[in-house]
Amino acid sequence: MAMMLDESEASDADLIGRAKGGDRRAFGTLLERHYDFVYRTAYRWCGRKADAEDIAQEVCVRLGKAIRDYRGGGAFTTWLYSVTMNAARDMMRKTARETVKTDAYGVHALISGEASVESEDPTEALWAAVRQLPDKQRDAVLLVYGEGLSHAAAAEAMAISETTVSWHIHEAKKRLKTLMRSAGEV
Amino acid sequence: MVDDNQLKRLRDAAVPAPGKSEKARAFEAAMRAYDQENISAAAQGSVGGLRLTERAQKLWSEIMQKKLFATPAIAGLVALPIAGYATFHLLGEQPSKFGGDQKITETLADKPATLKPAEPKPAPTELAKDKKADADVESRDAADALVAPTSPPKSESAEAGGAAQQTAPARGVVAEPAPPAPTGEFALDGTVNAPSTSRAARMPAAESKLIAPQPTMAPADQIVPQEENRDRVQDFKTNPVHAALEDPVSTFSIDVDTASYSFVRGSLKQGYLPQADTVRVEEMINYFPYDWKGPDAASTPFNSTVSVMPTPWNSHTKLMHVAIKGFDVKPTEEPKANLVFLIDVSGSMNEPDKLPLLQSAFRLLVNKLKPDDTVSIVTYAGDAGTVLMPTKGSEKDKILAAIDSLRPGGSTAGEAGIKEAYRLAQQSFVKDGVNRVMLATDGDFNVGQSDDDDLKRLIEQERKTGVFLSVFGFGRGNLNDQMMQTIAQNGNGTAAYIDTLAEAEKVLVEGASSTLFTIAKDVKIQVEFNPSKVSEYRLIGYETRALNREDFNNDRVDAGDIGSGHSVTAIYEITPKGSGGEQIDPLRYGQASVDNGGVANAGEYAFVKIRYKLPNEDASKLITTPVTSANEVASFDQASTDQRFSVAVAAFGQKLRDEDATAKFGYDKIMEIATAARGADPFGYRSEFLSLVRLASALGGNR
Repeated sequence: MAMMLDESEASDADLIGRAKGGDRRAFGTLLERHYDFVYRTAYRWCGRKADAEDIAQEVCVRLGKAIRDYRGGGAFTTWLYSVTMNAARDMMRKTARETVKTDAYGVHALISGEASVESEDPTEALWAAVRQLPDKQRDAVLLVYGEGLSHAAAAEAMAISETTVSWHIHEAKKRLKTLMRSAGEV
Repeated sequence: MVDDNQLKRLRDAAVPAPGKSEKARAFEAAMRAYDQENISAAAQGSVGGLRLTERAQKLWSEIMQKKLFATPAIAGLVALPIAGYATFHLLGEQPSKFGGDQKITETLADKPATLKPAEPKPAPTELAKDKKADADVESRDAADALVAPTSPPKSESAEAGGAAQQTAPARGVVAEPAPPAPTGEFALDGTVNAPSTSRAARMPAAESKLIAPQPTMAPADQIVPQEENRDRVQDFKTNPVHAALEDPVSTFSIDVDTASYSFVRGSLKQGYLPQADTVRVEEMINYFPYDWKGPDAASTPFNSTVSVMPTPWNSHTKLMHVAIKGFDVKPTEEPKANLVFLIDVSGSMNEPDKLPLLQSAFRLLVNKLKPDDTVSIVTYAGDAGTVLMPTKGSEKDKILAAIDSLRPGGSTAGEAGIKEAYRLAQQSFVKDGVNRVMLATDGDFNVGQSDDDDLKRLIEQERKTGVFLSVFGFGRGNLNDQMMQTIAQNGNGTAAYIDTLAEAEKVLVEGASSTLFTIAKDVKIQVEFNPSKVSEYRLIGYETRALNREDFNNDRVDAGDIGSGHSVTAIYEITPKGSGGEQIDPLRYGQASVDNGGVANAGEYAFVKIRYKLPNEDASKLITTPVTSANEVASFDQASTDQRFSVAVAAFGQKLRDEDATAKFGYDKIMEIATAARGADPFGYRSEFLSLVRLASALGGNR
């Protein structure tokens, strides 16, 4: 019991260090601690519960494989963001074949204002628009506004420069305006 | 601009809690992956990879400093050979650790750039296979490359090719998806046409200072805009205004292609205004089915209707609307078909909107076939292969199974593929039937015959034997629109761009008979304007289809074809004499004499001549129609619904090309006309058009 308590209080860095050394329990604790974080990021990225769970699982598997190669540097969560968003993008690409039709319809409906696409909640509608942005812009908006990161932190997670993040955000705002206007919002 | 306060609300959106069992399953999977790594951890330790990637990084920054990326064009030409060279270079360094490379790309991709790259593992085959199973997000090419080290490498070229494919998906994970088609660029810029053994030999000389873009580096992110824009499109100038006095004759070939409309639609739905050169107004107009009056018997393959109406965007001019409708062949009279599907299965087809969509599209077509029809399938990638020998339509299961078995991989050997396809078409040639090669590609013809002109000659030659060719384009980012147009125009076929399954259905199922059954070939239109009635004229669209005046009577000059039930529309904007809408000043010193006028024809606007050949004949026939005020309607609203709709499409196309004529004519006016002329619209094509106009209006701002 003391051991358990110990673990739940250990810092990420400690846990990672032990997990790298082959400590299964430390790795398990790390997962437990960050699963909800990964899931939330994934959900915001894709907007569907089932997909988010799949993405979270994929991220967990990738962590299992890659934790030993993690070298530290920035915050562990920064790394998690990038792993999660890469996994989300891969997942979307893989399933795009099935969803391409429904998505196309969704976009179309949103544009022509025919369907409501559960847009009673303006925040949900905004998220829906964010999810239509090109990948990089979507990532940037998700990190900066969805997760409240600074541009610098987002830059680290996205492995691009800070100015590029700012540029993506700027482009995203322009694009969102168009998307929201054609959706009848704003 | 959406402001920060609005965006800050994004944080407040509720996220539903994850499912318990899903969470448990994820943990279990993670633990399994973790344990597996524990076992293999002992095999780690080589530092070779570190050194290599460091060098790559260093050279990358050198490249950047040398400003080689000064212009997008240079970047495009340079980046991909670099990737190829880098791959070769890495291979030369570590041929035996190829399996480990997979590991590098996988882990690197998951890390921020600040982290040091993982060391490559000299992976045992067993482990490599596990990885392959897990990393199913990686492209199949990468997986294929993985297997390579277990057996002795077949040739330099196989490895280099596979590895080049491999680096591309890896980069795609971190940055935007980069179309993995490096080899295409080699052929394009003419440095390498032969397989990569020679490439390997030549590359160091040509690119000695260059090396790989390091996969995880940020610059990959900055290259993206150029990579997205690699669609090759022929640029052309909008038809100018002609003075009827100086240049009274206008000649062009008809065009039933629809690729441009689908392309425009794709752009707009992604939120971009299409590039002007991708907008071919006539293809947009001809995308829509119109109910023009058709001929009564197959002996006259089509009927033409000419009408004159006021121009909605210019009160001084009139529109001369030429509508042609092909004879609709009854299903019972449809000739037997001998189809060869020539399918591009190169690595670049490995995207959801390419090969999988193509497979679904051809499945639709196969279901429309009659039992006597034959189908063969040829694929082309690293080398051309026959997937299905000529098979009767009655063995549908066999055909469908062959379609399902298609897998992407390798570069594109277009020439070998086309030759094989023609060989099979000849083998099961149906006399008096439909003999057609149906080429499906994302546009890369990059090994062998990559010159558009060579390709054109080959296709022309085959056309004379009675085998026609149609082209279906898939995907974006690398589409060679110009090549598609060239080969469809020279192969007596249509070029269509398929971006959704609905579009596939329109082209291959709804339009199956018009796509497959040609009722008239080499259809040319020549219009002679009467200078005493018309002072200026302008043909809307058909820029890429213009013919010389003398070509009209020359039966050796190829032109467009009309399929069963096709409708073709051409619109001229004419300025009646004395209307005050002239753009060209009259000549001060004398004018060319007018001797065709005479008293008898003085009242005619123009004289429309259409020349065509029946599908199995070589001598052309002529149809002529004078255009008089009897063809005229007094107001635009009196024109038929279909005519008004086609004019709205014409206006939209010109608007997208940012032409002068429609500069002052707003999207709202186009909406008005199109909405009023929507008609029955059984397949919803016209409502879709309306939504595109809305989109363009939103994207185009106040244009």
